[in-house]
Amino acid sequence: MNFIYGNLQVALDGLMTGALYALIGMGMALIFGVMRIVNFAHGAFLMLGMYATLVFYQPDVFAVQLISVLGRFGLPTPEFLTRMAQVHQFLNPYIAFLIGGALMFVLGYVIYLGLIRPIKGQEAFMVILVTMGLSLALVDAAQLVFGADYHQINMPLKDLNIHLGPHLLLNAPWLVSFGIALLLGFALYWFVMHTMFGRAARAVAQNRYSAPLMGINVNRVQAVSFGIGAAAAAIAGGLLLPMLYVFPFVGNEYRLKSFVMVVLGGMGSIQGAALAGLVLGLVENFTSRYWGNQWALVVDFVIFILVLSFKPSGIFGSQRA
Amino acid sequence: MSRNLQAAIAGAIVGIALLLPAFLHTDYTLQIIFRIFLFAALGLAWNWVGGYSGQLSLGHAAYFGAGAYGLALFARAGLPPWPAVGCAVILSMIFAALIGKVSFRLRGPYFALCTIAFAEVLRLTAKNLPNVTGGDVGMQVPALFKYSTTQSFYYASVLLTALAVALTYWIERARFGYSLMAIREDEDTALSVGINTPRTKLYALLLSAALTAIGGALYASMFLYIVPDQVLAMEVSTEVAIVAMLGGAGTLLGPLVGAITLESAAEIFKAWFQEAHLLIYGILIIVVVLFLPEGIVGTISRKLAVFKAAPIPPFTEKPRPGAKAETTRAAVLK
Repeated sequence: MNFIYGNLQVALDGLMTGALYALIGMGMALIFGVMRIVNFAHGAFLMLGMYATLVFYQPDVFAVQLISVLGRFGLPTPEFLTRMAQVHQFLNPYIAFLIGGALMFVLGYVIYLGLIRPIKGQEAFMVILVTMGLSLALVDAAQLVFGADYHQINMPLKDLNIHLGPHLLLNAPWLVSFGIALLLGFALYWFVMHTMFGRAARAVAQNRYSAPLMGINVNRVQAVSFGIGAAAAAIAGGLLLPMLYVFPFVGNEYRLKSFVMVVLGGMGSIQGAALAGLVLGLVENFTSRYWGNQWALVVDFVIFILVLSFKPSGIFGSQRA
Repeated sequence: MSRNLQAAIAGAIVGIALLLPAFLHTDYTLQIIFRIFLFAALGLAWNWVGGYSGQLSLGHAAYFGAGAYGLALFARAGLPPWPAVGCAVILSMIFAALIGKVSFRLRGPYFALCTIAFAEVLRLTAKNLPNVTGGDVGMQVPALFKYSTTQSFYYASVLLTALAVALTYWIERARFGYSLMAIREDEDTALSVGINTPRTKLYALLLSAALTAIGGALYASMFLYIVPDQVLAMEVSTEVAIVAMLGGAGTLLGPLVGAITLESAAEIFKAWFQEAHLLIYGILIIVVVLFLPEGIVGTISRKLAVFKAAPIPPFTEKPRPGAKAETTRAAVLK
């Protein structure tokens, strides 16, 4: 009996992690599907989303750090920063993550126009290099502004556990994040499948040379898709904030992981990536339980290599978004 | 720049480098130049795969780390240092054969990602097996030279670069090299004119892995101590690739110029910007890709070529009537 409940608990935890992975993977799949580019800054976007949520939840943490950075360069402290440093709590993280997502959308749009669009016709490798450089720059900038310290937020919800029967237990923040992620995942799916923009995005994904002949502004569609993809990563980051520590390198492990989902889900299919995210969450949690946490990422990459070598068109969702 | 001019400049750089220790008396400067030549050699080795045959690998940390850990592990098993280096090279080539077998079937971003995944699996495995590799605590590496001064390692790195330059010089003129370049230009056409593309690519990777492993062993032995996050890190793979891209992929002189530029820039950034040096480094990568996609040597060559002769107009393919759109599977593998 214990064995069953133990595994069931792991499966439940896996699904909750998986829903957040799904959101990250869907963002990456949208970017990959519409542009055929590998975004190596996806993890950095996630990290930025976490910090943005943190800033809106506890402005003082950010303000104090920024004042000290400005002080080191001998710059005067602006008035609003000193006032910000007084505010201990501002917005609930479950509201703040939306602002983080919106900001990331704008940043993603700008990044597309400034960095990705100029090298569109070139090798895919060039985009990997550019986004890698971007990721390095963003992570180091975050370290400059926020410091290398680990931050963790405290909120009353954190210690709340919901008991399902005598053996199963759900952590409240995970549950809330899971619910929101699920909702947003379905919303994104609906958006891509049923709106005019989504139709245009799928047309570009299918054939970017004939899409403009149908009157689609490819550049705009790609810029918006990049923004949405980046926002999805940032939102997932904001939703992860209540449970995880935030530090500048927190996104690094998601760099490749998000692409594992894209490959597993079948090259730019967003529903496939979502399913793959759930599966990845389950696989990681079971790996952690039976082999130890440190092997989870290894298993991810081994799955990735196996899928690439035996079924490069992906396992879920044969249809391409 | 003609190939002979490039080779002459490369030879001159190596020659000057061999004389340098007579004028430099600080170990620190010598260590920096050691790093320049180490990465020049690694970049040249990467160039055989990434430059001439166009297989843009981002997993060379696997071979670098195999060299470093191979030396440490075989030495612990009782081998003397130099035979241990030989075994490490063989280990690295075995990895290369395995990685090449899987990843050479993929094209474009999938190839690059697959090579990263392999290198990451190796790094995480090295981290997770404390009984074998010491895990995160790290491992001791034997000294390769009796008088293990910075100078001996410096000469070794310059000689390794000289070897890489010589091999590149040979490849540029050999049938093997022409096959590689044909694969870069159009793999399907290369296949159709009778080039055994899988085998040719594999040979290039094996050669590249062997030289990279020697570089890894040198690096490890120089610092006498290694940890997975240092020698198997993705940063190593990226740096090697960027060295070659910055200088000019597919040219003999490129990686050498790239290593000199990038490594000295990195040192200057560290001194000037301190904590912000990675920020500047990231921006440098972006600037190189946006404004110098052909690399320094590639751009200069093109500028110089303008004075020589009118360029041959590019061959443009006429659209065939009723040409079919690419199928899903072909698009995936592209």
